[in-house]
Amino acid sequence: MNFLRRLVGGQSGNITHTSQEKPEPDESAPAGISTGSQSSGIEISKSTELLPNLDQEENAPDESETLELSGEPIVTKPLDPDSIADLNLDGATRELTTDIETLQTQSHLIYSVASHIGAVRSNNQDAAYTFFSAARSVDDIPDFGLFLVADGMGGHHDGEKAAALVTRSVSSYVIKHIFLPMISGDSANQGAISESLIKAVEKANADLNSKVPDGGTTLSGCVVIAGMAHIAHVGDSRIYLIHRNHIEQMTRDHSLVQRLIELDQLTPEEAKEHPQHNVLYRALGQSEAVEVDTLTRRLPPSSRLLICSDGLWNLVPDQELLETVRQSKSPAEACDRLIRLALQRGGQDNITVVLLQMPD
Amino acid sequence: MPETQKFPTRATADTPQESSLQPNFVLHDRYRITGVIGVGGMGTVYQARDLHFTDVKKLVAVKEMHTNTPDPTVRSSMVKTFQREANILATLSHPAIPKIFDFFDLNDRVYIVMEFINGSDLELILQKTKDLPVEKIVDWAIEICDALSYLHSQEPQPIIFRDMKPSNVMIDTLGKVRLIDFGIAKSFDSRVRQHTMIGTEGYSAPEQYRGEISPQSDIFSLGATLHHLLTRKDPRIEAPFSFHERRIGDLNPNAPPALIAIVNKALALNQSDRYPSCAAMKADLEALRSGRSQIALNIGMAGGAGTPLSQPPMPNGSIGTSAFEHISASASIQPRWKFKTEDEIRCSAAAFKDLALVGSYDTNVWAVKLDTGELVWKFPTRGGIASSPIIDETNRNVLFGSEDFHFYALDVAKGRVSWTFSTKDRIRSTARLAHDHVFFGSDDGRLYALNALNGRPIWSFDVGTPVRSRPFVTNELVIVGADSGEVIAVSLSGNRKWSYRTKRSVISSPIVDMNEGVCYIGSSDNFIYCLDANTGFNSWRFRTNGPIIASPTLYKSLVIIGSTDGNLYALNAQSGREKWKFKSEKPIVAASIVHRELLYFGSTDQTLYCLDAESGKELWRFKTGGAITAMPYIIGDLLLIGSMDHHLYALPLVN
Repeated sequence: MNFLRRLVGGQSGNITHTSQEKPEPDESAPAGISTGSQSSGIEISKSTELLPNLDQEENAPDESETLELSGEPIVTKPLDPDSIADLNLDGATRELTTDIETLQTQSHLIYSVASHIGAVRSNNQDAAYTFFSAARSVDDIPDFGLFLVADGMGGHHDGEKAAALVTRSVSSYVIKHIFLPMISGDSANQGAISESLIKAVEKANADLNSKVPDGGTTLSGCVVIAGMAHIAHVGDSRIYLIHRNHIEQMTRDHSLVQRLIELDQLTPEEAKEHPQHNVLYRALGQSEAVEVDTLTRRLPPSSRLLICSDGLWNLVPDQELLETVRQSKSPAEACDRLIRLALQRGGQDNITVVLLQMPD
Repeated sequence: MPETQKFPTRATADTPQESSLQPNFVLHDRYRITGVIGVGGMGTVYQARDLHFTDVKKLVAVKEMHTNTPDPTVRSSMVKTFQREANILATLSHPAIPKIFDFFDLNDRVYIVMEFINGSDLELILQKTKDLPVEKIVDWAIEICDALSYLHSQEPQPIIFRDMKPSNVMIDTLGKVRLIDFGIAKSFDSRVRQHTMIGTEGYSAPEQYRGEISPQSDIFSLGATLHHLLTRKDPRIEAPFSFHERRIGDLNPNAPPALIAIVNKALALNQSDRYPSCAAMKADLEALRSGRSQIALNIGMAGGAGTPLSQPPMPNGSIGTSAFEHISASASIQPRWKFKTEDEIRCSAAAFKDLALVGSYDTNVWAVKLDTGELVWKFPTRGGIASSPIIDETNRNVLFGSEDFHFYALDVAKGRVSWTFSTKDRIRSTARLAHDHVFFGSDDGRLYALNALNGRPIWSFDVGTPVRSRPFVTNELVIVGADSGEVIAVSLSGNRKWSYRTKRSVISSPIVDMNEGVCYIGSSDNFIYCLDANTGFNSWRFRTNGPIIASPTLYKSLVIIGSTDGNLYALNAQSGREKWKFKSEKPIVAASIVHRELLYFGSTDQTLYCLDAESGKELWRFKTGGAITAMPYIIGDLLLIGSMDHHLYALPLVN
């Protein structure tokens, strides 16, 4: 019942299946579909049985847990509620109220990442990468986060290699050219962040072409610095901004059918069933040059950013993504629930989710 | 089972094809294989020698089709379809269409024997040449139209080629067009693709993705082929149907406007906006070849509306109807009044109640009646006035700096001094009024914050180099540009928060999107920058071809800014990508203003322009007698604009 505990606790919960793990028994998938549709994702005990290997990484180190707790120092001494307002709490970003609970208010972004092979495929060609740095000092170093999802394609394990290589290549470039100058206080003469991101993706594309010439991959990711999201996107993985009661797809799928929809040549319904609905016109590994969409957006307080592969969004409509995220107590719980939803609907593809939540 | 497959880069099959016929193998007791011409998705094309002709070396092309299905009924139906279409082709007779000699079914494979064409296909020609003469492309286009026209006129059903693209057009040794690879193979390719693939067909018409096909589909694909030949941009690696984003005129200076118009018409998204027939397209191409030039105009008028592709930018010399209207409209713009000062007007005007106010390089601030332009008062300083007057409604003052080093607050009704403040050098920075304080920079290298009521200094911040940019004030910060090239953010209490260094002086004034907390500013280093207003981190920058003096304007999701390269740029605020640009004849140094979806700006080409802010299309223009260097000011239905011809103009804003 580890899964149950985790869901209630809502702190950890990385479903990080790798291709080394055994695929699920074939008979569990149909059972999952039929029961899952009735349980509406609440009956945890059933789900635990249905998805036995959700628990397998029990002993695996959980990165997100330590990182999520890297918030403001929490004051442990009992406090006189009346005097709290006068306390000169270093680093408090908003006025304190007499309610002592608010001292534990999250003041840095928290996030979770989860990836699942799905119910059909024999390997997981998705890759995710996260990196987060938070500091508190007189130097006022802004929070920095890097979050990437890649969905690889290509036979003979080329797809998973491509996705893995590209996330590694992009993250090492970004950390070297954006993060390190930032913490070393050397960023004043740096170029634009979006330009560095584009260079990172171009470098990854070149690496991919030389090391996995037959592989291709999508890449959707963002660098978050001081609450500003700098997004880079190629392919049909997606980034959503969830704020209050609203979900907004921030990226544009580089797929043939999406393009036809945009030009009023196809309806979204026709696109779903279209024989070429999996055809991308832009991806990494396609050619020597790659055009990268970039976007800069301020992430409002308590908003969430959802990065996912098409294994999720093909099966879970936008409105349901919104509701699931809103109903979850933590990013980790939301990631779990989103993956379970996709699995309940057949899990035809690998499913990868990264979810960030901004502080209030 | 492979999960997803990358789209084959070129000419290899989706599923691995067994190589079948070896050289010297004699097929059907008649065709000795001499080599492989090509390998396609559906099979292999061989070169072979027809052994029935013993005395001459008759070469043929043998096309081998795989019928990849285990179901014998399906297979038999596929073969029948294939045979039927092969039979139709066998009845055709056209110089551009290769003859079919034989058709047979052998060992699960179907073979067509056809004329061997010696030559190169257009894709190969594109690869091997650097520059294709436009005349040659037009000649080929005419021949292709002729062949397609012949196919489309077949009875009882028109034959649709379906797969017009450079690699299916051979140019034979005589330089004549020959179409190869007829769409018959297509009926074999009905498998649903389950795996993600990269790359699209590139040339297919949009309706083909809905399972529809018509002669207009061939016209579209021909348009796509011609676009590729003219621009050398392969549509298979670009976003589908993005031809209009790769303007032929930009990529091929030799392409005449009339040809561009023909190709754009063939590329209309909606079938009804394309040519009704290949014959009609051929007629336009022939008219172009024979030098009759008015077709471009005809096409421009008849181009249809509603889709991006059917509204291509009209090339030079082919002006649409709306442009004629604009010209007549601009002729009718008459100023309601104009007021002559004694020297150049370099700043914007302002208005308060019934007064219009403007500073002039003649050292005066002038106040005139808003409805008539009659003088009410003037106030002389001891230096030219380059900064724009701003109105403090609370204290009923007009505020401005002068090149006499002083900052003035005048009673706006009477033109008398309320207070003055002295700096150590010329003031060219326009002031900003916020939080009951006035913020401005001086050439003495300081940024000042004064109490707006009495002019008492609250603080001054030492920037070190002249500050000519107008500060922007948020709830936390004052952001300003400096001659050092820095963009500097100072807290409301006068402490440095961040700075961002551009490579040349920053005269442009920042603007902050307060919802997003993002600051936009131009620099003399040619770039416009998007900075995080809280931290100064640079999100994106966009390069123009000249120093930027003008200040940006925000309109919906656009950042609009002029450059000394003469263009006004509208950029997507989130990505920094260009949405449109508008070319004026000389450098633009003044900011624009958007009022009711219309954008107004002046250029040093002496003209005030009115554009549709969304599209950048010109609606009207008004010519003054001198360069315009400041932003228009709009009050009610009047637009006030000063010019270096010494005049302040009041133009009526009419719909």
